[in-house]
Amino acid sequence: MGVSPKDFWAKIIAILPLLILFFISLNGSSVINIKFFSINIHYILVYFWVLRRPESLGYGFIFLSGLISDVVLGLPLGINSLSLLFVAGVAAYVRVLTVRITLINDWISFIPALLFANFIYFISLYYSNLSVDYFYLLKNSLFTFIFYPVLWGVFSLILNLTKS
Amino acid sequence: MDTSREDVGISIRSAFLRKGIQQRFSLFALTIISIILIFLETIDTKPLNRIRSFLKDVVYRSAVVATYPNKIFSGSYKTIQDHFSLYKNYSELKKENEELKSKKSKSDFLELENSQLRKLINEQVQSESNLVSARVLLDEQSPYLNSFVINIGANKDIKNGMAVLDGKNFIGRVVDVNFFSSRILLVTDLNSKIPVISEPSGNHAILSGHGEDQPTLQYLSENHKIKDGDKIYTSGKEGIFSPGIAVGEARVKKDKLQVKLNSNLNEITFVNVNLEGFKGKE
Repeated sequence: MGVSPKDFWAKIIAILPLLILFFISLNGSSVINIKFFSINIHYILVYFWVLRRPESLGYGFIFLSGLISDVVLGLPLGINSLSLLFVAGVAAYVRVLTVRITLINDWISFIPALLFANFIYFISLYYSNLSVDYFYLLKNSLFTFIFYPVLWGVFSLILNLTKS
Repeated sequence: MDTSREDVGISIRSAFLRKGIQQRFSLFALTIISIILIFLETIDTKPLNRIRSFLKDVVYRSAVVATYPNKIFSGSYKTIQDHFSLYKNYSELKKENEELKSKKSKSDFLELENSQLRKLINEQVQSESNLVSARVLLDEQSPYLNSFVINIGANKDIKNGMAVLDGKNFIGRVVDVNFFSSRILLVTDLNSKIPVISEPSGNHAILSGHGEDQPTLQYLSENHKIKDGDKIYTSGKEGIFSPGIAVGEARVKKDKLQVKLNSNLNEITFVNVNLEGFKGKE
C-alpha cells in the first residue's frame, strides 16, 4: 500500500511547523537581524502554534529546539528552552481562557508572552555571567511584537492548508 | 472574586501541569528540567563535560546539514542581487576601466620614454667605446696561424690595426680588411705583439703570441714586480688601442711570464671591433 501524493503533502504540511521549528534552531536563525531590525521568529512560531494548534508542536520538541538553539548560538544549555517554554505556557494559558480567536486578541496576548520570555532570557544570561545588551533586548521585543501579524498571516495560511 | 481567582488557578494548572492534547510532557516538568540544565551548566565535571561535548557535536553536525539550504539560498540571493545591480556594476566598471586606461597610457608613455632613454644610454656607451659587432665567419687556428675571419670590413669602417674584443676582453687586432670581411690576428698568433701593462705592479711589456694558448710577456724591465695573478691590460702605447682593455692574468713560470687569456678563443662566435683610436686618423 503506497502513500498517495495527496496524503504525503498533507503529512508534510502537518509537520511543517515542526520542520520550521527545527530548521530555524539548527540554522541559528531564530533571531533575524537585518540592520536595525531584530525579530525573534522562534517566539512567534511557538506562540502561534501552541495557541492555535498545540498538537502540531509538542512541548518536548519546543524544549529540544531551545536546547539546539543554545548549542548553535553558544549559550548555556537551557536558556532558550526555558524562554520558549514560557512563551508556550502563556499561549496555553491564553488558549484555555480565550473562546474566540482573532488577530487582535492573539497580538495583545502575545505581549505578556514576550515580556515573560525576555525576562527569563535576561535573568538566565545575567546569572550565567554573560553580558546583556538591554537596548538590543528592547529592540528585539519591539520588532518581534510589530512583526507578529505578518507571521500570523503566513502561519494562518499553513493552518488552513492542514485543515483542508 | 473567589470564583475569578479559582478560574485563573485552574487555567494556569491546566496550561502548565496538564499534558494537553497529544503532549507527552507537561510544561511544568520541562520548565523544571530547563532550570536544572541551566544550573548544571555552572558545574564543571568530567562526565558532564563529556555529555555536553557529545551533544554539541551531534548538534553541530546536524546544523551543518540544516544550513545547507540556507547557503544555497544565500548564494541564489547574491546571484539575483548581482543581476539587479548589473547596471550599477557596469557603470562602476566602466569608470574603473577608464581610470585604468588612463593609467595604462601613462604607463605606456613611461615605458616608451624608458626604452628611449635606455637606447640613448646604450648608444652613448657604444659611442664611447665605438664597438661594432661582427660574426666570426671562419676560425682558423693552428700552431702557425691563429686568426678569425669576420663578416664586416670596410663597409663598417673597419681598418687595419683595430682592436678586437670578445665582450670586453681583448683577443686580437684587425690585420686585413676587405669590403665585407676582415681578418683578425689573435693574440696567440706568432706574429702578434701587443703593448700591455700589468696591474697592480704597473710594469709595461709586450704581449707576444707563440701559436699556443697562452701568450707571453716580453721586453720587461729587469726589476719588474709582476706576480702571479696580476691583471694584464692594453697599455694604449703607440696610440693604436685604447688603454685599459682587459687581456688576462699573469702566470709566473720558471723562465717566462705567461698570460692566461680572459677569453677562450676556441668558443668565440661574435666579436666586437673597437673603432676608437682611429677617429681623426684618416
